[in-house]
Order: sequence, then C-alpha cells, then structure tokens
Amino acid sequence: MIKLNFNEHRCCDGITRRQALRVGATGLLGGLTLPELLHLEASAAGKTPPKAKACIFIMLEGGPSHIDMWDLKPNAPLEIRGPFQPISTKVPGTQIGHILPHCAKITDKFTIMRSHSHRDNAHQTGRHWVLTGYPPSFADGQAKGMPFNELYPSIGSIVSRELGPGGAVPPYVEMPNPLGPGGSGFYGAPYAPFTIETDPVQPDFEVRDLSLPRDIDDRRFHLRRRLLDGAERLGTRDLQTGRARTMSHYYEKAFDLVTSPAAKKAFRIQAESDKVRERYGLNSIGQCALLGRRLVEAGCRFVGIDHGSWDTHVDNFTSHEKALVPPTDQAFSALINDLDDRGMLDETLVVMMGEMGRTPKINTNAGRDHWSQCQTVIFAGGGVKRGAVIGASDRTASYPTTTPYGIQDLLRTVFHLMGIDADKTYHTPLGRPVPLVNGGAVIDELLA
Amino acid sequence: MRDVMVNRYPILFCVFYCVCLSVCLCATNVALAENSLNVVPESVRLDRPEVVQQLLVTQRTGANDLDVNRLCKFETTAPDIAEVSAEGRVVPKRDGEASIVVRYENKEVRVPVVVVGLSSPAPVSFRHEVLPILTKSGCSSGGCHGKAEGQNGFRLSIFGFDAVADHNALVKESRGRRISTASPRQSLLLRKATAVTPHGGGAKLEMDSPWYRRIERWIAEGARLDEDASQGVTAIEVYPKQVEMTPQGVQQLLVTAIGSDGARRCVTVEAEFESNAEAIATADRDGKIRVSRTPGEAAILVRYLGHVGVCRVTLPQYLETFQRPHEKNFIDGAVWEKLERLGIQPGRVTDDTTFLRRVYLDTIGALPKPEEVRRFMADSSPDKRARVIDHLLERPEYADFWAMKWADILRVDKAIVKPQGAVAMTRWLREQFRHNTPYDQFARKIVTAEGNTLAEGPASFFEVHKDPEMLGRSISQIFLGVRIECAQCHHHPYERWSQLDYYAFAGFFTGVQRKGAAPRGSKVYSRGGANLKHSQTGVEVPPAGLGAEPAKLDGVDDRREVLSQWMTSSENPFFARMIANRIWSHYFGRGLVEPIDDLRATNPATNEPLLEALAAHLIAQRFDLKAFTRSILNSNAYQLESSPNESNETDSQNFSHAAWKPMPAEVLLDAICQATGVPEQFNGWPEGYRAIQVWDNRMPSYFFRVFGRPQRVSVCECERGNEPSIAQTLHLMNSPESVRKIRHRDGLAARLAASDRSPAEIIEEFYLATLCRPPTASEQTLMQGAFQEPGLTRRAATEDILWALLNTREFVYNH
Repeated sequence: MIKLNFNEHRCCDGITRRQALRVGATGLLGGLTLPELLHLEASAAGKTPPKAKACIFIMLEGGPSHIDMWDLKPNAPLEIRGPFQPISTKVPGTQIGHILPHCAKITDKFTIMRSHSHRDNAHQTGRHWVLTGYPPSFADGQAKGMPFNELYPSIGSIVSRELGPGGAVPPYVEMPNPLGPGGSGFYGAPYAPFTIETDPVQPDFEVRDLSLPRDIDDRRFHLRRRLLDGAERLGTRDLQTGRARTMSHYYEKAFDLVTSPAAKKAFRIQAESDKVRERYGLNSIGQCALLGRRLVEAGCRFVGIDHGSWDTHVDNFTSHEKALVPPTDQAFSALINDLDDRGMLDETLVVMMGEMGRTPKINTNAGRDHWSQCQTVIFAGGGVKRGAVIGASDRTASYPTTTPYGIQDLLRTVFHLMGIDADKTYHTPLGRPVPLVNGGAVIDELLA
Repeated sequence: MRDVMVNRYPILFCVFYCVCLSVCLCATNVALAENSLNVVPESVRLDRPEVVQQLLVTQRTGANDLDVNRLCKFETTAPDIAEVSAEGRVVPKRDGEASIVVRYENKEVRVPVVVVGLSSPAPVSFRHEVLPILTKSGCSSGGCHGKAEGQNGFRLSIFGFDAVADHNALVKESRGRRISTASPRQSLLLRKATAVTPHGGGAKLEMDSPWYRRIERWIAEGARLDEDASQGVTAIEVYPKQVEMTPQGVQQLLVTAIGSDGARRCVTVEAEFESNAEAIATADRDGKIRVSRTPGEAAILVRYLGHVGVCRVTLPQYLETFQRPHEKNFIDGAVWEKLERLGIQPGRVTDDTTFLRRVYLDTIGALPKPEEVRRFMADSSPDKRARVIDHLLERPEYADFWAMKWADILRVDKAIVKPQGAVAMTRWLREQFRHNTPYDQFARKIVTAEGNTLAEGPASFFEVHKDPEMLGRSISQIFLGVRIECAQCHHHPYERWSQLDYYAFAGFFTGVQRKGAAPRGSKVYSRGGANLKHSQTGVEVPPAGLGAEPAKLDGVDDRREVLSQWMTSSENPFFARMIANRIWSHYFGRGLVEPIDDLRATNPATNEPLLEALAAHLIAQRFDLKAFTRSILNSNAYQLESSPNESNETDSQNFSHAAWKPMPAEVLLDAICQATGVPEQFNGWPEGYRAIQVWDNRMPSYFFRVFGRPQRVSVCECERGNEPSIAQTLHLMNSPESVRKIRHRDGLAARLAASDRSPAEIIEEFYLATLCRPPTASEQTLMQGAFQEPGLTRRAATEDILWALLNTREFVYNH
C-alpha cells in the first residue's frame, strides 16, 4: 500500500546501526487519548487476570547464532558445528553453548524454543515480521524513516493500546534506540513508544524532557505552574470538549510524570547500588535490562530493548564469544534472577530473540550468514514453563523437526499470556480490518 | 471534453440527494393523517421457504413518521401459513393466504400475506442467496476467511465479490469435504458454521434457522453455481432513505432487493449496516438505527451483494428561537440554514484579536507580530478584516505555507527525488501559489508533467509514484477524493467501484516513462501506452475516468492529457468538490466530508447544499483559489468565536462555533521562535529560514517528530499527526530547546528584562507576542505576582511568565 524506496543503512554494509539510527532517531512518548484511557480503565475491570502484566522484549538485532548458543550440534561436521562446545546446565539433559555460562546456571527458570522458523531472511523485512507479525510492504534495504513499520503497529504499540498505562510511566518504552519497526503504524501517535535516546550505561544518563531545567528549583517550578494554571483559567474558558481538553489532561499527566516521585524514581537507574548494576553488567544491554526491570516495577507494560549487532558474516565465533554473548548472557541471567528474587518473574514475560538465526554452514570468512528457517527463541516468566526445551531441529540445526512455530504463533502466545484478545480488529484509515494477529495459534506446550 | 469522454454520472451527487429528499415512492403510499398508522410493505408475498420479510410500522406525528415497530403487537391470522415474530418479521410456513394484524394503541392495520410455491421453490441461487449469508455472518470478512491467505486453509473472497472462486473453495477445494450433497446437514460447511464441529470463529449460524435451511437446501439441490451472473439483484432500496429522529430514538430500516425480473425481496436481515457518525447514530446488524442526544446528521451505509444504499439520519434538538446571525455571503446562508434545521444556535462573531490570530495562522502559518496586532486594534474602519485577508493572501508566506501543504500531499520526498528534486518541486509549488495558478491548470500540470525530475516543475511526482497503478491510486485520491485503491483487490466495499474501474483508471499512466537516472535526474514523458489487464480475469481494460465511458484514445500521444481533460472539466463530479472540501477543512478544522479525501455517495457531506455551492462557486471563479479562500475567510461562519454556547457545545460537524485546531508542527515551531524572538537554527541550513520553508522532509528533528510532521509516505493528509500527546507537553515544558529559547540572551525575555519597561508593559508585550491580544486586568494581576515573588530576579520573572504563556493551550492551539 505504501511503497518505500530509500536506501537505509543495512547491518551488512559496514555502517553501524547507531549511526544509522541517529539519522532518523525519534522518541515518542506513548500515551492514550483521554476517552480511550477512561474506556480502557473501565473495560479493564471484570476480565480474567492475565498471567503477564508486562513484557520485556530483548531484540538481538542482526540475528544471533542459534547453533552456537542454544542449539549446538556437536555431532555435525566441523564446517557446521564450529568450535563451541555444549555444556550441561542446571536442568539435567539440557545443554547449551559454553559461551553462555551464566544462563547455564538458570536453565530451570526459562524455556528454550528451538523450532522458530519463518521465511524472511533479511534484516529490515525480517524485523518487520518479528515485531509486527505482518509482511512488510517494502523490499529489504528499502525501508525509510524511523520507525519503519508505517502501516502495521508493533507488538509494543498493540500492548500499549490494549493494556494502557499501568502506572506513572509510559506504557511502552524502547531503549536505548528505536526498534526499527517498533512504531505504532496506523494506530497513531498515542501508541507510539517512548524512546530513551540515551544509553542508561552513560554515567550522566537522563531521560529526555523528563527532568526540570537545571536552574528551575521546586519553588520556581511551582511558581511556573501557578502562573500557567492561572493563565489557563483566565484565558481559555469553556474548554470542555475536544483536543484542547485532552491536551489539558496531558498537561496534568506531564506534570505528574515530572513531579511524580514514582516516575522519576523509575528512570533513575543511578539509584541502584553499584553491586546490582555490576551484576547486570556495565554495558548497554545490562543497564537496559536493569532499567527495564525498574520500569516494569513502575507499571510499564512493554519494554523493548534493542541490542546489536549480531550480523556476524565475518568472524562469527570471535564476535559471539568475545563481544556479543558475554554481556547478553550476563544481562539476561541477572534479569531473570532479579525478577525471580523479587517475585516478579511470574507476572513479567521476558522474550529474547533476533530477526533470524544464522546459517549452519560456516562461510569462508569464518562467518555465518542469514538463516531464518531455524531459530531459537528464549522465553521466561509470565506464565511460561520453567526449565523446558520446546521443539527441536535437524542434525545441522537447519530446519525444525518438530512443528515449526511462526511469528504469528509467537505473538499470539505473548498476547494470550498478557490477556489480550489477538483476534481483536482495528481498521486502517482506508477501512481495511487488521486483527492484532493474523492467524497463528497459541503455543500450548510453552504455557506453564 | 464530453466529446472525448462521456460522463456517465455527471450530476451523480445532485441526483442522489434529490432522490433522498423526495418522498420515498418506492415503498408505499405514505399515510398523511395525524396519528395514522402505516405499515410497509402494504402486502407481503413469500415464494420460498427461507425468506424473512421485515414489517415496518410508523405513526405520523407532526411532520414525521415515527417508528413504532417495537411498540406494536403483531399477530397472524393463520399461524400454519405465515408466522410473525415480536419484531415484525414474517416467515412462511406453507402455501396459502393469511393476514398479519398490527396493533398499536387503539389502532389496527392488516397486512395480507400470500405464500406460494413453497412445496417446489425455485432453486437456491449461490450468488444471490448463499453469498450474502457468508458475508453477513462475517465468514468472508477481512479478519477471517476473507483475508488474502484465508483462515485455516479455507479462503473466501472478501465481501463475497468473487462468486466463482468462493463456489470453488466451498465445493471443490479440500477434496470436496466441505460439502456433502448426499447428506447436507453433515457438510463441514454447516457443521463448522453451527460449531457442531469445533470452529475457531464460533457459531455463526443457528441450527434450523432460515439461513441454515437455505444453505441446506442449496447443498441438497446439488450445491450448484448459478451460471448466469446477470440474473439476480440489480439494485437495492433502503426505506426510509431519510429520517428525522428524536433524541435516543430508534428506527428500523427496510432493505429490499430488486431482481433482474423485477421481483422484490426483503433482505433486511442479510444486508450490512454501518454509520459514518457513530456519535450521532449507530446501526445494529438487524438494521435498527439508534440515535444519541448529540444533534447532527449521520449516514447509515447499507451494503448488500456489492450494492450500496444509504439512509440519512437527522437528529435535531429543540431550540426555542433560532437567532439567525448576519449573512455575509452564500456560505453563511447555507451554514445557518443547516443549523436552524438542527436547532443549533451558532456562536457570535469573534473579537478582532482572536480573528487576527486565527486568520494569520490559517492563511500564512504565522502569528501576527505585536505591532500588527496593535495596528489592527487601532484601525476603526469597518472593512479592516477584509483588508487583512486581502493582505495575507498576497504575503510570500501564503505561498510558502501552501507549498508545504502540497509538498506533503504530492509526497515531495528527498529520499526519493534527491535534495535537488525536492528543492525544485517545492520552488515550483511556491510559484504556483504565489501566482495563484488556477487549480484546474495546477492539477493538469501535475497530471501531465514532463521533463527532468530535478528541474523546477512537477515531474518528480512521477519519480515518487512509479507504476501506473500507484499513479492511478494517488491521482484519484488527491484530485478526485476517490479511494480507488480499495478496488485493487476487490470490489470497493462502500462504493460502486470495481476492479474494472481500478484498472481502467490506472491505464492512463501506462505510457509514462523515465529516461536516465541520478545524479542528473530522469526525464519524464508519456507516449502511447498499453491497456492494463484485470488481475483476475486477465481481460484487457480500456482506460476510462471514474464512472465514465472508455476514453477515446485514437491519435492520442499522451494518455494523461485525456485524463486531465476529463478530470478538470467543470462537469466532473469529483474534482471541484474535492478541492473545495480540502480547503474548507483547512480553515475550519474539519471537512464537510470526512475523511476529506473519501468522497462517495455513502459518505455524504454534513452540509450537502453547502458543498455543492462551494464547488459551484469554485467553478464560477474559474478555480481561482485566492478568490475562493477570500469568500471563506470573509464569511461570518469562519469568523465565529470558538467558545461554545449551551446549544452548540456538542456540535462538531456543523460549524456552529470555531474549532480548536492543532497547529502543524512547522507552524508551532515558527510561532515559538517568533514569540521568543529566537529563530531556529536548522541543522546544516543557513540562518533565517522558517520551519514552513524547510523542504527537507527527512531532516532529523525531535520537535517535528513529536508534533507529527508527516514523512510524506502517503498522499493522505491524515498522515500529519494532530493528536496531542504527553511527549508534546513534556517537550514544551522541559526540553533544552524550549529552555534555550526562553532564556536566550538575545531573546524577548532577556530584552524585556533588561529594558526599563514596567512589569505591566512587559506582561502586555508577552501577551501580544504569544496570545496576540492584550492581557485582561486579572491576567495582569496574576502575572505581576511573578515580579513580586521574593528572591526572584526580574530576568527570572520574565522567563517564568513567558514559559507559562508558551505552555497555555491558548498559545499551542489555533482557535
């Protein structure tokens, strides 16, 4: 419907994702229009309680190597199995790659699904599939703008629309960068993510527009608010309807966000002890995971964590072993342990995946290329089985040998766990009905 | 033009509304005596076992026929021949004659019923009797089996537009397991539909209901596809076509299908209903309209087998006396007329300063400067508003602003047409608005553009819209307000457009070619062209305007010429209406038709005579947009105050008071810059540019994103976000960018703080700079509090006042 043709930077072409994102980076604070908010609050009452109140979605952009991390094939030929060894884990019989020592200790807390498969073997289009559940309308590399899911809403926007805010913080937060196809599509600005454009690993981390200007102390802020309230009262009478009224409620919400100790506290990652911060890892994914936990505590519904760059066409093994996996291993295991210790794991769904897996056959640059036919997805908490392995792949981790689960099955399961009706349908501006998920089935064997 | 291409529906809309307004002759003679009871239809003939006839009982009350259906008692004289439900639905039992006795209060009407041929009815038609059930039950909806890949391996055509494919899917696919002619009730189709066999969609049919029995009989008769597609329904009739209702009232609709043999059959239960204004009226699946308490109009769209009809609902409110405001021109006449009919009292004409701020923001996208406000306030001449309007239309910002708007619509995208292309197109657009190119010529220049995409001209439109189909879709939406796009894959669900119309329209662009490429730009031209093939039938479709006969292309070099002649002809039913509606929507914050580029008989204007008059005015003015705009801006309707009164506060569709319009992102940024006295420094741009001049749609700007500047990925103006969000308020309140402008050492706050002006003078200056009006006495008192705040410097006080004013809704909105 919307044709796109713009050469956006791709993972494979040597330009870092960060640079690419800076070009079109954006941050929108998700919020609802007031009537919808009231409607949601009203309709929220009387539903059966969902298993998961929130979802933390860790997107490993570029495509992590399933065969080197979660689905090792020690009996495959050398040009396939690579140098990594499987190790035993907390769950007898479950083995994962030796480059994931932290996760190995807690396999009893999460579930490994080795049979995810889809047919889109490219980055932008694959990511569009994964995050929206719909085929993109553009060819890979042709997406433009950010976010680039121009029509179909992302999973985070859907959750934001269906569940609404759960506290003082916005319902859908992306960090540290936009997820690409993480936008709200035709749902519009009210369901767009709030993107934290600075990395929480920075020592002076601060969320944009949320703190008062430096020289405005509380006293002056209150004077300002008094002047504004007075000017509104005296200047604009009779504003009981329409957008202007909605805007005044947003002002109240904005004031709340700025002045609410809860919201301020949620974003203040510096309040965590050094010990905790170090446990998650003093790196981007570690601090994002930690901030994600803080936001979920404050009522955030969907935290999208963007972590790159897993596109290891060259030197797959060094990249995985030295750069990519260790912080991920540490952050993920710290997050799961922390959620569990706090009693939050059962109501917080954590999903970790990429847009594709990597080719079983090692290429001439000691790299692995794109492979969407077989991937491993990690699930934890929020009503998902603990300690299970779901599905299996063939001798070379090329194709699932059990029922392959597609992205619609995944999304449907996430919505099911969050108490969202995946068949609910909204109409595009042209009047075309778009269900939250088009097809698919809940993955029963994943449910606790 | 007409000799080239004859228009089949030249006055479609006029005809349509005349029919609506006239008394409905088709149904029956309307009872005229007060309190008399009237039943439609007068008599009933039922000739097949599964048919359902809805009765509609009305009582004449004053000038209206009130629906009393739900209050009546229905009784049959022969229950073994025909039964009637409490809702007045008659079903046949066996051949014979009966009467339905309708009682209401102390009145009684008898409706004769004849049941014939029940023992040997005509075979069930798949096309006309089975498909509507699948559609109405939601089986073939876009969310279910109607979507492109079907559902669980079973795929139907959306809205049942492809009978052959659907018959195939039901009868032949899946090894024929869906139908069992030997044992119809065991057919998977019926078992699934009744959820006897587990069905993801749940139970859609009731066991042994008329629909169930009809499908059962169709299967038993061999599950055949009626070969002759031309036999069947030729039209539908909706009764009533127009109804005036009372608050929270209910009205049953009757839908009658007219067969090719002239037979009339009640299809109320099979038809689908949809309201275009749910705040005013809704319609349920049985065709029952319910209205709210909000006065206004709604159109109930009725759809049956690709035929559409409409019932227009008017909900007036009681108003003791309508005070008709002064009439400046025909616009006021039409607006007051409508409001009087609805019992809505329009507001008063707004004061000078509010008018000035509004007309500046609307026309040139800028706030008036304090000296302009002062000058206007001091001017005592009676025609000062008209003179300001004339002045604004000649300002260069008018061209900048409208060029920006059209660059959005035409998708001037730097990423596609390259920076030189974007600059060139923007400059060309500015020239058109500066010189006030008549709109028909403007459109013709775009549709038939030729030349280099980097040269100053509209050729790069053909760089953005590359293939014939995309061009067809965009051109029809932009200039004709027809979303022909829907007909790409299936019959347009709300209109008569089919895939034939779609390929016929796109066929005008098959000669378009581009030679060369970046960095020198490509050369666009159009020579000849082949006819497009229907995607389903493969049949070649000759090019034709929408609703027009095939174009005569003999000896035509550039097919687009023929299109543009048809399109811009004064006879064209869409062209003038579309631009009139677009411009109206710009100035009033709401189109007469909404969405503004979705003109169709089933989505009528809230004030049809006004839209007709505007279109006619535009044609009479030879598409002179400035003259047209002048008429709008000089009307009292445009100049009404935005504060609602008791009578009009719920009205948002009849222009009884001015709307609060969000400013476009660029205009708001310019307003902030002007009010603070600190211009924006755009990344990589020389100083002194205003946001509305920035042609770079890809410029990274948090402000633009958060306030909804479009990326130019679609030709729909709806791409521009206009909903408020918390991020916007946070940004205005706290962002470093806002702080910088308020505190800037050369900014207005710093300059006023350093001056020797009194607090009262400073406050007045701030009010003029932001809200474009002087402060009231109580506002003065409020703001002076800042200067008296202990420990607060004069500089800090000025900054805080400016901050507060920039964050008021009165500043952020255009009202």
